[in-house]
Amino acid sequence: MTTLGQEERHTEEKVYRQLRANSLLQEIMLRYMMEGQAASEQGKLAWVTSGFPVEIPVTMGVNVSYPEQYGAIIGSQKVGPEICGFAEELGYSQELCSYARSSIGSVRYPEKSPLDGLPKPQALLACNNICGTVLRWYDAVSQMTGAPVFLFDTPPTEGDQPSHHREYVRQSVLRLIDFLSRTFHTSFSEERLRKVGELSGEAIDLWTRSLKACRNRPSPLNCADRFLAMAPIVALRGTEPAIEFYQALLEEVQERVSQGLGAIRDERIRLLWDDIPPWFTIFRFFNGLAARGVVFPADTYTHAWSGSLAGADLLDSVVSVYSNVYLNKGLEAKVDKMCELIKEYSLDGFIMFSVRSCKRYSLGQLVSKELVMERTGVPGVVIEGDMVDSRLFNDAQIQTRLDALLEMFL
Amino acid sequence: MGYVYPHAPLEIIMAHGLTPTLVRARPGIAGAFEASLQTFACSYTRNLFSQRANDQMPASSALLFPGNTCDSLLNVGDIWRVRFPDDIIFRLTYPAANQGEAAVHYLADELRSLSQSIEAAFGRPFSEEEFRDAAGLTRQFRSAAQFLYAARVVSPQVLRYSKLAALIHTFLLSPDQKSANEITNASTQVQRALARSRLLDSAKKIQEQLIKRHLTPAALPHGAKSPRIAIAGGMIDPGAIVALFNAAGIPEDALVMDLFSFGFKTVFTPPCEVGRDPFDSVARSILASPLEPTQEGLGVRLAFLKDVVTNLAVDGLIVCEQSFCDPDEFEAPSLEAEASKSGVAVMRLPIDPELSDRERLGVRLQSFLETISPRSGR
Amino acid sequence: MARRTTIGIGLDIGSTTTKGILVDSSGTVLAASLVTTGASAPIAARHVMDELSQTSGKELTGLPIITTGYGRTSVEFAHETVTEITCHSMGVHSLNPDIRLLIDVGGQDSKVIRIGPNGRPTDFELNDKCSAGTGRFLEVMARVLEVSIDDLGPLALRSTSPSTISSTCTVFAESEVVGRIGTGAAPADIAAGAHLAMAGKVATLAKRVGLVTPVGVTGGVALNPAFRHYLSKQLNSSLWMPDKPQLTGALGAAILAVKR
Repeated sequence: MTTLGQEERHTEEKVYRQLRANSLLQEIMLRYMMEGQAASEQGKLAWVTSGFPVEIPVTMGVNVSYPEQYGAIIGSQKVGPEICGFAEELGYSQELCSYARSSIGSVRYPEKSPLDGLPKPQALLACNNICGTVLRWYDAVSQMTGAPVFLFDTPPTEGDQPSHHREYVRQSVLRLIDFLSRTFHTSFSEERLRKVGELSGEAIDLWTRSLKACRNRPSPLNCADRFLAMAPIVALRGTEPAIEFYQALLEEVQERVSQGLGAIRDERIRLLWDDIPPWFTIFRFFNGLAARGVVFPADTYTHAWSGSLAGADLLDSVVSVYSNVYLNKGLEAKVDKMCELIKEYSLDGFIMFSVRSCKRYSLGQLVSKELVMERTGVPGVVIEGDMVDSRLFNDAQIQTRLDALLEMFL
Repeated sequence: MGYVYPHAPLEIIMAHGLTPTLVRARPGIAGAFEASLQTFACSYTRNLFSQRANDQMPASSALLFPGNTCDSLLNVGDIWRVRFPDDIIFRLTYPAANQGEAAVHYLADELRSLSQSIEAAFGRPFSEEEFRDAAGLTRQFRSAAQFLYAARVVSPQVLRYSKLAALIHTFLLSPDQKSANEITNASTQVQRALARSRLLDSAKKIQEQLIKRHLTPAALPHGAKSPRIAIAGGMIDPGAIVALFNAAGIPEDALVMDLFSFGFKTVFTPPCEVGRDPFDSVARSILASPLEPTQEGLGVRLAFLKDVVTNLAVDGLIVCEQSFCDPDEFEAPSLEAEASKSGVAVMRLPIDPELSDRERLGVRLQSFLETISPRSGR
Repeated sequence: MARRTTIGIGLDIGSTTTKGILVDSSGTVLAASLVTTGASAPIAARHVMDELSQTSGKELTGLPIITTGYGRTSVEFAHETVTEITCHSMGVHSLNPDIRLLIDVGGQDSKVIRIGPNGRPTDFELNDKCSAGTGRFLEVMARVLEVSIDDLGPLALRSTSPSTISSTCTVFAESEVVGRIGTGAAPADIAAGAHLAMAGKVATLAKRVGLVTPVGVTGGVALNPAFRHYLSKQLNSSLWMPDKPQLTGALGAAILAVKR
């Protein structure tokens, strides 16, 4: 009997299987938090957006923290409404992105925020490839902390990126290097970027292989597993610990595949998840569905970190990778990606989570729902909510829609 | 060609023999967006979409949408193309960062690309001559409108705000010699009136300063009425503000300055130069338009706001927030804080194109006016 | 539950009314009941069960029961809960298998359901967030016009030129209507305008699922002739309505129960 089998007997009652790698994940993230704190004290910390070309600051010896990830933590600890409230008291509308509101709220009252807030930044690096709001959010934080803002501008693409577009974004890279040099009294080396790029690429490769393993039946990972496991690929790209974790994860995933073990005990329905998950109810929500045999072998959120730096011209690679992230490509590209995932992962249907806070991700779902259904022939449903602000989540309304969708599969 | 976002390349469009016409959100449009847009899409875009879905959109051969200005407009452009596949849609993607020459080159190339698309779609090539005429027209319009803005700072009663808004709207709806002459005539009349009251120099000085974005304390006439209100916001219809003011019984004279996209920002966009590459010229002109919140530079915008309220003897600032508009709603607290620091009373005005809450907004405005006291030292 | 059964019970527990149907495996309705839900869903459900038993003369113990509707999870003796979407779809399919698109408008929500070839839904859209487009909207309008909800439809049908009501939100629409009354618009025209607006919203929901004729309508609001008139115009399609449009949910639940 294998160790895995022994563990099986202990967790017989649970509908989902715990990942062993989660404990390594916790260790790594804790270390990361502490390093961030230390970096801040040494004046070497920048806050970055999740789509930022982080390899550049890492190359230049600048540590990075992720307010969006911190937003997920705030959501998971169920203090979203409270912390967002601090920002609302300052006059920020409830209609604004809840990552931004919770970030602004925690900057205002770090002592009332989880982990005493994110460590103070010396610079704020925003890249608008994930949305146009980040600049304004970081502007607000800049006002509060005094840290200067830098915008890495990646105008949204439509199909192939024209050369004048690429040239402009390349100038952004040069400007970024200059900004970081001046702000942090540090320098850039292409040699070092190549090394960092390789580390980043290795982690992405390992992560991608774990993602692809979910094409198997049963799927070795559910989306909740991936939403946790994505933390290092977002926050630790270009570092060794990220590789360490994704190696461990891949090993465990491959073990599960070879033994025919799924992330959930009784896999009957395979669905696609679209958009950022509701962090404040992530386990209850997905395990509730798991109890009904529903697993999510693929989702558009965790599949969004897939580009690595390669080639002779690394700066060009930075331009290409970061201009062409999922959220920067337009509606057609989103629909294509979703249809591709449904086909590749043999999915029976899809759920689109309409995150009120996130216009970039969510507007267009009403149309893409129709297009995806048309092209794939599988049914789907749009449910409404938010990723951090639990006030915007109506259980009954969501359950009715989910129930109706699942009834279609009987 | 209809356009939605304020900083449209008017001269380029006109160089192709097309008339750029501003398509705005309007009150009284029945909601028809629910099949395509969630309620958290910006209310301005929902109104535009509803117009199109109801067949209430003013006739045009094509529509120009922007990219990289805000997420609602970006998505709505994409959704529009799926829902109305027979519409001819162009997209101009703007730079958002302070990247100096790199941004200019990028935008110039985008404009070149747009120009080629227009030619391909309509078979009308770019004409240098028509470009020059267009540049002259917009220069004439802006020059006259700028003066009127400055004139109203010095003497708000010399021209009703609604009249100024109407003149601007007419030009933006139909930029031709007729509408340009209309506003030029108004400007001439106002110049005469100010000359009679010996305020002309003062107004001209303010115009210069506004163009340079550097103000000094304005010399206002004795007995200048109070309170003096400035109003800030994004893609708000000045006409809607007039309607609210009228409904609330507030005199238009109280409004001495707006900082709206379809007002101040459009009017004080520098003219594009002729005699050089037209795309480069227009790109420079667009990128130098003041106060654009979809671009890097909050600090600069706040400094200018401070300048305005301090030097133009403003007693109260109204900060408009379009419902579900990210740029407006993110910036509003900063604008409010900056103005308050300068000792100015501030009111936030949540607004949508349908003016759904007209009654209550009117009451709010009225109360605000009643509670403002003139700044000391006047 | 090893005994083979030829009778099933469906209970549709709505926020306003609770409905019950007793059906046999050939689809014949043996008994039907409709009561006001009141403050307690379980009590209303019990009441319905008693009526079904009385009407049919049958003992109901041990028979399969499926509940649907808003209060479906609040009844302990149910064997299974199924959403109204599936139940209405099955119910209508059993009454008229030609119907491929079903529009159900109740007091609190409106739904559009694409009925598949076997009676189960293949797609649906739901409006349960916004009262405009539900029976609530018409109730508000009836109140403002000072007529009963039953008289609102006939009043609207008397108009030849409906007023325009442009507000998408019930709260704002109410203010708009008050304004219209103030400026002397005829109540019939306002009532017609309200139905037109309502039908418009419902039609939009329907188009999201995709219009496929023939179209069926169910739910309490379907009994309103003005609503059917304006909806039919909006969809440019005739509408089929079952004799008892409020009972199709319970019927579908009962059919599913029999199949268990």
